[in-house]
Amino acid sequence: MSTTSDVPSLASMADSVISSSSSSSSSSSSLLWGDVVQQTAGALAHPSPIAGGLGVGGGGVGLAGVPPSSSQHVATTNASSSSSSSSSSSSSSLDSQIERLRRCEYLRECEVKALCLRAREILVDEGNVQRVDAPVTICGDIHGQFYDLVELFKVGGECPDANYLFLGDFVDRGYYSVETFLLLLALKVRYPDRITLIRGNHESRQITQVYGFYDECLRKYGSVNVWRYCTEIFDYLSLSAIIEDRIFTVHGGLSPSINTLDQIRVIDRKQEVPHDGAMCDLMWSDPEEIDGWGLSPRGAGYLFGGDVVAMFNERNDIDLIARAHQLVMEGHRSMFNDALVTVWSAPNYCYRCGNVASILELDENLNKSFKIFDAAPNEARGAPVKNPPPDYFL
Amino acid sequence: MTSSLLHPLELLLAVEENVVREKAASSAISIGEKMDDDDYQLEFVGMISRLATKEWFTARISACVLIPGAFPRMSSSSSSSSSSSGIVYNDGIGGMRMAHIAHFANLCRDDAPMVRRIASRNLGPLLETVVETIGPSCLDTGGVVSTTLLDLYEYLAGGDQPDSVRLHIAQNCVHLGQAMTRVKGSLDGAGEEGLVLPGREGENTLTRINVIVRRVLPLIVATIDDRSWRVRWTAASKFALVAHAFSKLDGSMDELVPAYEKLLQDPEAEVRTAATYNFSEVAKTGAMVYPPGWTGGVLGGDGGRVGYSDARRIPVALRLVQRVAQLTEDDSENVRAALAMVATDLAQVLGRDATLTHLLPPMLLLLRDSTSEVRLNIISSLSLLNDVIGTELLTQSLLPAILDLADDGKWRIRLSVIERIPLLAKQLGKEFFTDRLLTLCVGWLGDDISSIREAAAKNLKDIAALLGSEWSVQNLLPRVKQVMEHQSYLRRMNAVRALSLMATVMDTHTAQWEILPMLLEMHCDPVPNVRFNVAKGLGMIGPMLQTSYEGQILPILTLMMEDPDRDVRYFATQANDTLRAFFDKLNKN
Repeated sequence: MSTTSDVPSLASMADSVISSSSSSSSSSSSLLWGDVVQQTAGALAHPSPIAGGLGVGGGGVGLAGVPPSSSQHVATTNASSSSSSSSSSSSSSLDSQIERLRRCEYLRECEVKALCLRAREILVDEGNVQRVDAPVTICGDIHGQFYDLVELFKVGGECPDANYLFLGDFVDRGYYSVETFLLLLALKVRYPDRITLIRGNHESRQITQVYGFYDECLRKYGSVNVWRYCTEIFDYLSLSAIIEDRIFTVHGGLSPSINTLDQIRVIDRKQEVPHDGAMCDLMWSDPEEIDGWGLSPRGAGYLFGGDVVAMFNERNDIDLIARAHQLVMEGHRSMFNDALVTVWSAPNYCYRCGNVASILELDENLNKSFKIFDAAPNEARGAPVKNPPPDYFL
Repeated sequence: MTSSLLHPLELLLAVEENVVREKAASSAISIGEKMDDDDYQLEFVGMISRLATKEWFTARISACVLIPGAFPRMSSSSSSSSSSSGIVYNDGIGGMRMAHIAHFANLCRDDAPMVRRIASRNLGPLLETVVETIGPSCLDTGGVVSTTLLDLYEYLAGGDQPDSVRLHIAQNCVHLGQAMTRVKGSLDGAGEEGLVLPGREGENTLTRINVIVRRVLPLIVATIDDRSWRVRWTAASKFALVAHAFSKLDGSMDELVPAYEKLLQDPEAEVRTAATYNFSEVAKTGAMVYPPGWTGGVLGGDGGRVGYSDARRIPVALRLVQRVAQLTEDDSENVRAALAMVATDLAQVLGRDATLTHLLPPMLLLLRDSTSEVRLNIISSLSLLNDVIGTELLTQSLLPAILDLADDGKWRIRLSVIERIPLLAKQLGKEFFTDRLLTLCVGWLGDDISSIREAAAKNLKDIAALLGSEWSVQNLLPRVKQVMEHQSYLRRMNAVRALSLMATVMDTHTAQWEILPMLLEMHCDPVPNVRFNVAKGLGMIGPMLQTSYEGQILPILTLMMEDPDRDVRYFATQANDTLRAFFDKLNKN
């Protein structure tokens, strides 16, 4: 894979925030760069200069440069040989793996490999627009905040007791991307009908090399094998889901090249997230108070307005688009007369944004109910044992 | 043999890494235990001597750690080595013991503060060992305690020491207090223990103890005003130990209690919090002290001993309880939360009357505190108050506080309330519970937060166990039945969970005729999650319902094993396998 000149700038691809002012800002039909800057920059800590927007190469993150192994220091015993086979682990051994993951212990490399092989068999059969039955609970970005995911399950109910649909962005930024993704993946393998995972823009080889997952795998396993297994699985994740034919869910949003769900269904999804086109847009686009389509300040995907959503919903006979991808300080936000909702499930995003998170519970009649939750308190985090300061500091 | 093992350890005892030295020290000690006395003197004690005088400070730190434990086995005859320090103790201590006391004294005065810090930490244990080993004679005016060890106490408490050295004063004083109390106790119990000291000798020892205690008390009292808050915090958090160590040494508490009261008013909230946690333990020492404001000269000419039975003295608890009101108004919520946790403990010491006048009013104030943690702590510790003054008085104030917390916006607070409900139900009785708290408990089954709903289900189980099957059928089952018809599958599922849990603590008849039918009815719920929880529930209660297995449970499980949903099939199969295995085993026996 090469880095071509039309690679969106990674710096500007960072998640943006739906700023509180955006809903009130007047929707001008002519979208100027300046508007975008005003509306999206400033709220979160990635106010990338728009000037660096499109057309800047992805500078030096090409996969060719991935070292097969490095002299990094090997964490625990996980560096055991990767040669072990995909032993046919029964559901009971999977149950014990889930138990370990729930305690935030990561699996051995050979276990990850086996798990990913089993996950692939399941995911390969899912559609690009995966059908999901109600009742189900919709969750937005998690971003490696493992203990907040545990908090989410405490609030919403454990899997499999409650059904879940996760809208992607499981990894990067938080400290526990490995544990977070493996727990969700293990639950998917164990209870395929109870949990659905779709792909977010961070489930990508390129992005994870910049925002933490790659480094975390290297640090925890001493090699990038686990990162390879996981990113291969990323390619198999569904692009979107449809709940009871009424609610369309996707990580980012709509694409100008997509008018009907059937157009999504024919995409060949088993590839790295491209830099443009329908598949990219589904994971990168954001809703905005504009008419029609606008350029995205992220450098990938588009901005889309209420009229686009209304037309899409009518054409596909759906009531609602549920998506994630943007930090919302209050955990969720409805737009366009409730035709679209953003769900954000990473409380105190990046451990410092101070936001609350939410999940959207849909009952069997698709009645909506948001559950708001805070970051897990410190005593629930099993914080990494802090070494006491050396004696001479006392 | 053993000496060859000791040699590498000696090297390890001098390395830089703390953890390595610690492990090496504990290995060396266990090797020392296996050595015979001659080897021990030669090899082990010799090693300590070398370590104590090594140039690099890490070795000297290890010597500080090893000396107290080795002291009892060191020889005391002066033949093996002559004293280098020139001090001659008149308690007959000599030889290796004397040499190592001298080593230890040097370590306490070491140039390196790291060494002094570890020496300081080990001074108390050393003193306790010395007193234990040598007996009352070491307390003589010319004995090792007065001439050397107490000097070290004073030296290490000096204001020019770093606070990490001064930090250990409180703990060292605890060791001293314990040692003195033990000597005093051996005098009192002299008749039984055979350690017969002539009356006059005993009198002398008591006087000497008194002199020593008088010398040490000012050191503790000084820590209360130490400029380092860490020193004050350490003293505050160890104050219960200090108080217990000194409570039997006449008159000590007259100095310690005012010092403690000062800690309760420390400028740092952390210090006040630590002191407050020790509140009831200090009060429970049972010593008698002068009431606050008494200025009659605590230290009478005879060391306070004469005045000890003074009728003007009151129990410590009675003096301290007068501080409670002030603490309820502390600015720091941590202090108030700490107080709420421990203060009710005082009730038992104070007795009913004093509790009613002094303790109850501030406790009721805490029940209305603005911080939910404070209210929570007081509710969970109220049982102690109940025992003394009875439930009636409390109920009136308690209920509003519980209702308030039960509604708290933080779900973890609600969870804590639920977890305390079974205890409350036990204390408040069936009638009160049914009237006032039942609705609340059932209401939690429908909480927004899954963890609360689960805790509510478990709570109903505990309540059912407590109040019996008949009561539960009347009061709990109708309400649970309502939840079973809720439109949200999460609530219905929780009702299933509650039913299964409750059945396990009911009598068989109730489980079979009241609960099982309700549970079975849910097997055709439209949502698979509810159905497989029915299967799990059947697996849980099946073992107590053998008679219903073939007729009622098996047909439903068989139906569920054909369910279109694979998880329902899985859990039904699993439940059935479990039950079959259980009954097979049962029938075999």
